[in-house]
Amino acid sequence: MDEGLRARGVSQRFGSRVVLDDVDLDVPPGRVIGLLGPNGAGKTTLMRILFGVLQPDAGTVEWKGRRATDDDRRSWGYMPQERGIYRDMRVHDQLTWIARLHGLDKAAGAAHATDLLERLGLADRAKDKVGDLSGGMAQRVQLAAAMVHEPDVLVLDEPFAGLDPVAVEFLSNVIVEHVRAGRLLLLSSHQLDLVENLCETITLVHHGRVVLRGDVRALKAASPDRYLRVDVTVEPEWLGRVDATIASSDASGSRLRLAPSTDATAALDAVRAHATVTDFGVEAPSLSELFLQVAGESAEALHDAEATA
Amino acid sequence: MNAFQATWLVAGRELRESFRRKTTWIIIAVLLVGSTAAVVIPDLVGKDGPTSYDVAVVGDATTFGPTLVALGPAIGAEISITKIADAADARARVDHGDVAVAVLLGDDPTIIVRSGEHDQLVGAASQALATQALSQALASAGLSDAQIAKVFDIRPVRLEKVAIETASRRGASFVLSLVLYLLSLTVMIQVANGVATEKSNRISEVLLAVVRPGPLLFGKVVGVGLGGIAVLAAALTPPVVKLAVGGNLPQGLGGALAGSMIWFVLGLALFLTLAGSLGALVERQEEVSSVMAPLTTILVATFIVAQSSADSSLGTVLAYVPLTSPLMVPTRVAIGVSSPLELVMSVVLLILAIGLVVRVGSRIYGRAVVRTGRRLKLRDVLASSDNRVA
Repeated sequence: MDEGLRARGVSQRFGSRVVLDDVDLDVPPGRVIGLLGPNGAGKTTLMRILFGVLQPDAGTVEWKGRRATDDDRRSWGYMPQERGIYRDMRVHDQLTWIARLHGLDKAAGAAHATDLLERLGLADRAKDKVGDLSGGMAQRVQLAAAMVHEPDVLVLDEPFAGLDPVAVEFLSNVIVEHVRAGRLLLLSSHQLDLVENLCETITLVHHGRVVLRGDVRALKAASPDRYLRVDVTVEPEWLGRVDATIASSDASGSRLRLAPSTDATAALDAVRAHATVTDFGVEAPSLSELFLQVAGESAEALHDAEATA
Repeated sequence: MNAFQATWLVAGRELRESFRRKTTWIIIAVLLVGSTAAVVIPDLVGKDGPTSYDVAVVGDATTFGPTLVALGPAIGAEISITKIADAADARARVDHGDVAVAVLLGDDPTIIVRSGEHDQLVGAASQALATQALSQALASAGLSDAQIAKVFDIRPVRLEKVAIETASRRGASFVLSLVLYLLSLTVMIQVANGVATEKSNRISEVLLAVVRPGPLLFGKVVGVGLGGIAVLAAALTPPVVKLAVGGNLPQGLGGALAGSMIWFVLGLALFLTLAGSLGALVERQEEVSSVMAPLTTILVATFIVAQSSADSSLGTVLAYVPLTSPLMVPTRVAIGVSSPLELVMSVVLLILAIGLVVRVGSRIYGRAVVRTGRRLKLRDVLASSDNRVA
């Protein structure tokens, strides 16, 4: 894989705390790559190391088969988890300036900024200060700042945090468009369910270690677990002798984890005996269910982590 | 892109944004108006002082009158003579301020003046009386009028008040130091605040992915510093213009201005680099002033020493120390107590210190600016391993 970006054996500690422990990461072109895991897993630290903002205690960052240099990195684009732009600077000025930092001349930078603002639907706000924009718009400017020099590599740290569904949809389209052009994209998220349908390949980290990696569809297919989704809230005693457990329950219904070789229709009948089911499905595990299995943690732990996000 | 280009890009942004802010223009306007007033008003006030005197004379003033009038230019005034019939009337007129001085001629000449007023005029009147007495004595000794006139054809002595010059030099150096001090303090806080904001907004993270810490820190220093110098230029334009058109500037101000610029520019580079490094330590913006306390304390203390005892041995020592020389040397130059050796040594030490601070400062900055979560201690940052690729 000589054309991509990769990290090998990256370890980092802050004081006595181990943040990353021998982590490998591959970012090939043309695919949406997810770096996933709960808060505090070490995702942001790994991204900072990719960009040389931090020098790791051990490990290397490679680009096209050799060690990445400062010049290589200048051609990449990075959007940090929050903000990352000057609030009191005008949108177009800011984008042009960042393009120049990346080595473009002033005219080219300004032209790129104008194009990008047009694409992101911000053309009429070009002269406004970033601080005067709404949260969703500011986030688009942030994205534009990471993309204004047309980078081959785009790295987005928690790009979906705090976005409304419209903004999530918009950003997803930009991401897909970027990779369909054969470029590289890495995004991180702690909201596994949110990026489940976007990420094609994932690296799951937990407490600084990689716990799961690979193609999302292949990972799901390889799992022996099956889940029965019903649109009613199931009580534990309804299941009787059916070998299944309630994986989660919320306002939209319950998910039952079926033990291997359990008959899904038997479980459905057990629920139907107590309530009317109007919608159901037998599904492969979601990303968060895969994560909980490999991480060996209770659902509460993950939810707690998300709640503190 | 090399380090110089990166520094200049960062500095250029700082400058452009600074001149977009209204506050910058307000400060420039206030300084320009204040400085113009400081240069122009003393002239106006000076011209308001008495330039013409009325002098009442009792007795035969045929020789005394012209003699006194001729002394007018020596005291920078026009003197006119009013003849009064009796002494009591003359005394009353002085008392009411109708005339400045009354002179009673005769065998026992008397000058009447309100207590504490018109020293110079009284001196001139005394001189005229003495001249009159002397010319009478010469006439009775047999000299002709022409010979007597020749005796008195000497330029009158001009009075120069030395104390006024010293006071104005002290005044000029005080105003200058105050402007430099306030400006240094302002731009220092500006740099530290800027760095702290970039850190808390994660802007430095984005920038560090593109630019090395050195250009990033020094670009900010250069940009904010040039902005500060532009503001200083606004404050200095009126006195410089006056100097250029040959106005009557307090002696020593010209040299102090030129010299101050060298120390001010170098001092700014030193203080701003330190301020930028310290600003990177904070977690929240509110902590900036506490992390800056050591620097501001040094500035305040130096300012006080410079104003109270710049010519003391403490002042001499502080003129060599890089952190204090930027404020101390201009004051010492203004009051004329600095030696050439002191000036050269001070500049050399200052430049060495800047070199050191830029090296260490960008290292501190590069390490601290990406470590968020809590307020950092300088010692810990220095002791930690270098986080960035060498």
